[in-house]
Amino acid sequence: MADTNGKLRYVPTTCPYCGVGCGLNLVVNDGKLVGVEPLKRTPINEGKLCPKGATCWEFVHSPDRLTKPLIKKNGEFIEATWDEAYDLIASKFKETYEKFGPKSLGFQVSCRTPNEECYIMQKLARVAFKTNNIDNCARICHGPSVAGLSLSFGSGAATNPFEDVMNSDVIFMIGANTIEAHPLAGRRLVQAKKAGKKIVVCDPRYTPTARLADEWVRYNPSTNIALINSIMYWIIQENLHDKEFIEKRTTGFEDLKKTVENYADVESITGVPTERVKEIARIYANANNAVIIYCLGITELSTGTDNVRSLGNLAMLTGNVGRPGTGVNPLRGQNNVQGACDMGAYPNVFSGYQKCEDDATRKRMEELWGVTGLESEYGVTLTEQITQCGDPIKAMYIFALNPVVSYPDSNHVMRSLEKLDFLVVQDLFMTETAKYADVILPGASFAEKDGTFTSGERRINRVRKAVEPPGDAKEDWQIFVDLAHTLGLQGFDFNSPEDIWNDVRRVTPSMNGISYARMEKPESVHWPCPAEDHPGTPILHREKFASADGLGHFFGIEHRPPAEVADAEYPFTLMTGRLLFHYHTRTQTGRAGLLHHEVPEGFVQINNEDAARMNIQNGEKIKLTSRRGEVETLAKVTDQVAPGVLMMTMHFADAAANMLTNTALDPLSKMPELKHSAVKVEKITGVQ
Amino acid sequence: MVAKGDMVYAWTTSADLANVAECGGAVTGLLKFALENDIVDAVLAVKKGVDLYDAVPTIITDPAEIAETAGSLHCGTLLLSKLIKKYLGGANDMRLGVTVKGCDAMGIYELAKRNQVNLDNLLMIGVNCGGSVSPVTARKMIREKFEVDPNSVVKEEIDKGQFIIVTEDGQHKGISMDELEDDGYGRRSNCRRCKMKIPRQADLACGNWGVIGDKAGKATFVEVCSAKGADLLSRAAKAGAIATEAANPKGIEIRGKVENAMLKLGDKWRARYFEGLGEGKERLQKMMEDSSRCIKCYACIENCPICYCEECSTKKSYLVPPGELPPPFMFHLIRFAHVSDSCINCGQCEENCPMEIANSLYMHALQTDMEKMFGHTPGVDMELPVLALVEETAERERLAATGSDQIFDVFK
Repeated sequence: MADTNGKLRYVPTTCPYCGVGCGLNLVVNDGKLVGVEPLKRTPINEGKLCPKGATCWEFVHSPDRLTKPLIKKNGEFIEATWDEAYDLIASKFKETYEKFGPKSLGFQVSCRTPNEECYIMQKLARVAFKTNNIDNCARICHGPSVAGLSLSFGSGAATNPFEDVMNSDVIFMIGANTIEAHPLAGRRLVQAKKAGKKIVVCDPRYTPTARLADEWVRYNPSTNIALINSIMYWIIQENLHDKEFIEKRTTGFEDLKKTVENYADVESITGVPTERVKEIARIYANANNAVIIYCLGITELSTGTDNVRSLGNLAMLTGNVGRPGTGVNPLRGQNNVQGACDMGAYPNVFSGYQKCEDDATRKRMEELWGVTGLESEYGVTLTEQITQCGDPIKAMYIFALNPVVSYPDSNHVMRSLEKLDFLVVQDLFMTETAKYADVILPGASFAEKDGTFTSGERRINRVRKAVEPPGDAKEDWQIFVDLAHTLGLQGFDFNSPEDIWNDVRRVTPSMNGISYARMEKPESVHWPCPAEDHPGTPILHREKFASADGLGHFFGIEHRPPAEVADAEYPFTLMTGRLLFHYHTRTQTGRAGLLHHEVPEGFVQINNEDAARMNIQNGEKIKLTSRRGEVETLAKVTDQVAPGVLMMTMHFADAAANMLTNTALDPLSKMPELKHSAVKVEKITGVQ
Repeated sequence: MVAKGDMVYAWTTSADLANVAECGGAVTGLLKFALENDIVDAVLAVKKGVDLYDAVPTIITDPAEIAETAGSLHCGTLLLSKLIKKYLGGANDMRLGVTVKGCDAMGIYELAKRNQVNLDNLLMIGVNCGGSVSPVTARKMIREKFEVDPNSVVKEEIDKGQFIIVTEDGQHKGISMDELEDDGYGRRSNCRRCKMKIPRQADLACGNWGVIGDKAGKATFVEVCSAKGADLLSRAAKAGAIATEAANPKGIEIRGKVENAMLKLGDKWRARYFEGLGEGKERLQKMMEDSSRCIKCYACIENCPICYCEECSTKKSYLVPPGELPPPFMFHLIRFAHVSDSCINCGQCEENCPMEIANSLYMHALQTDMEKMFGHTPGVDMELPVLALVEETAERERLAATGSDQIFDVFK
């Protein structure tokens, strides 16, 4: 009997990894997690899980978890009480704010944290310190999607649900390795393929997703605009565009038409022969219903927003928006990328994308929150905050992020964090970033708190508490409530995440109708959902676009090369990406035995011909150098990348791609160019 | 007093239980009696979660809570066997009452052969099963074929070849399973192929087939399958918790006919599925192609009631290089070699596969071929499998001692 004490319990919840939002059961025995079991009732994944989801419970009880607040004294972390930590944080932030004003503070929140926590953190920053210097890490994954789709369609979110690919005739994928990065969205592709739908995958790499495709188009890295413009040129040339849709539902077509006229032949840029472009154009344009699915191969470039807008152009050109089986869908890399942005943890909007610059909106928020003087100016974005460390940002609060590993140019990040007067890091583990903190607060994992994650299809999924946080660690929403009380703030009397969610509903018209009760069943609700009797909105832009004028907007967009391209000194193009078996900086997945078994260390993919020419063996340790740093890592010799192209993952601190990556920004979304930098490759003499 | 081989009609004498249970509530009544009288320490059964499409396994130690598990959920596609091993210590330290469908019972026997569950500590109450429908498929089917909002359904059942729903307003609607399945809905594919409809390897085999006359709908047909089962039923009857009467001979005949019809249907589906696979090279080609989508989530291994090894060969880097996608076919060959002679067709490897690989079909096809060759039927008794030896520890010791590279000594 000792084994169960009669307490074996299934807690249905949402996976903490990618943005598909799979449901799963945490199995609890005697107050401890003992496993994950399928949750077959959920329509999202029907019990099926990927290797990450199946092992997501393992890190929770890791002995490495932070269990007490820590305060740095004379360079050493000393255990402290919560009150000591709260008092120190409150006094330092107050002092900095009073001395240097709202621009001297920075707040950063991770997209792995629940909506309620994203919301309360931005509320605290805005209410207590009148600053819009609050951002989340969507900035370095799908910031360009928010910016680009907002400009094109009036809403920065995915238009159609994952399962809706079953209604498509053609699935056009670009810069997305769904089978690895979003496996249970990948399952929908498998189902679609079995049902006879045609799959086109454009990717510089031969990925497991490309292997699934009917048509794989290899193109040169970061030449998305040229490729899409050329596809559009041939659609117009062959008169396959949807004139009625363009006429009735869009503006700006003439601008687009004029721009793409110069893109008949782009082989010299993209490496794709014109005949092949024509084929792809015909496949996409001739489909009754075609959906576009994309991911970070589109966004993590200094052309990110324009790449996204180009996909908006392509969809509108063929009238593939606003129906089942159509649309433009960014796949979200983190469990709550969609939600973190929705909650207003963003430098220019409150929750529900209500603009801070709009006087009426600000006035309404001031009334609802019972404050005055909310900031109107666009705040400082995530990586720009890092650059501003020291001047003017003096104090920073980093919640569940690991910038030293995950942001571009790690050396720059480390140098910047050192310039801060005061840094708070709230996390589960002693991360590479936490070491720079003055105060470390031990938070709670997804299994230790209630809340909600909003998946990439705008479905708000419940997260349910299964076990208590370890030691003195606290549920993160509670930490913010406590801190707000220490700061003497009004409007933070929340006793549960549901209380916070109800505050979100109160101030956010597009989510007003979504109560916890409605989220009890795993179907839950897709926002927008303005009222309790509203069914939610799985498909956007049906009758009209979400933009102010109700129309979709074409933009004529010219190809631009990346900020840094390969040259004689740095002759290789380095791309970055993700692996099936790991998640981000591996603070969680690195602690799951199975995942560590599969891929214990980092590597770089290098083409066979390049390797042969340089006499590099598979598995040999080689040195990569960019203008910003160098790393040593293992060579994986393969034909999955083209000659001259390398691919590293972003997961491994000991072979950190971000030592090499470029901080050049997309002007519109401030996305750093994580997917493209120039490097050189050297053998390490004497080492095998 | 009843004895092994007896067939009776049985029903609970508790009006409260009869109210919430189906067909007289004998199963619920027996489990409650077993808990109350220290015959078992706990009961593992299935209860309704968020709605009737949501089957949740639960451990019950308080007899007052047993009513939660009353009734059947045909959208419950769980396999309870492996849970006993994974989370309940193989029932080594507790006496466990458990309600079992055919696949649950078969899985328990296979785990018992491998010393992963303690059969002596298990009291298995078998329930007839004509198959189960995955919850998401069921909801789609009700919306699209029945044209009914699945949230308005208050009861579902599978009876006389039909899937029948009852809605909030008391309406009944039934559609034949054949029609539903021809249209791509209906039972899981492994359930269609299943031929374990009455689990006689349990201690009692219970169901509503063959209950006729004035007891129709008010009693459960119970076939006594073991001395342990006979003892439970006798004690419960003697204590007045359960009432019994001899089963109507006509009812026994009808029960046999229902079972036979189900078995024939199973044969029909087997023929259809296995013929679709082709033979020899063609079949191998199909399996290799389909499995080349594998993303190594290990769900087929984790959820398999045959797999239990601490040191799984699929994690030996000289057999399956880690991190490679797709994994080499060796990954699947290892599973076929270790599982196929004992596959019980529970379907979990397929149902939980994120890449829609027809794992269960391949393994089941291999198993039926091997059963023809060697005459070994898995899951029905404690007879050891023909090829794959089952004692991992002993096997590893033998390997170490002999320096053999044969994981399984097929030549012994």
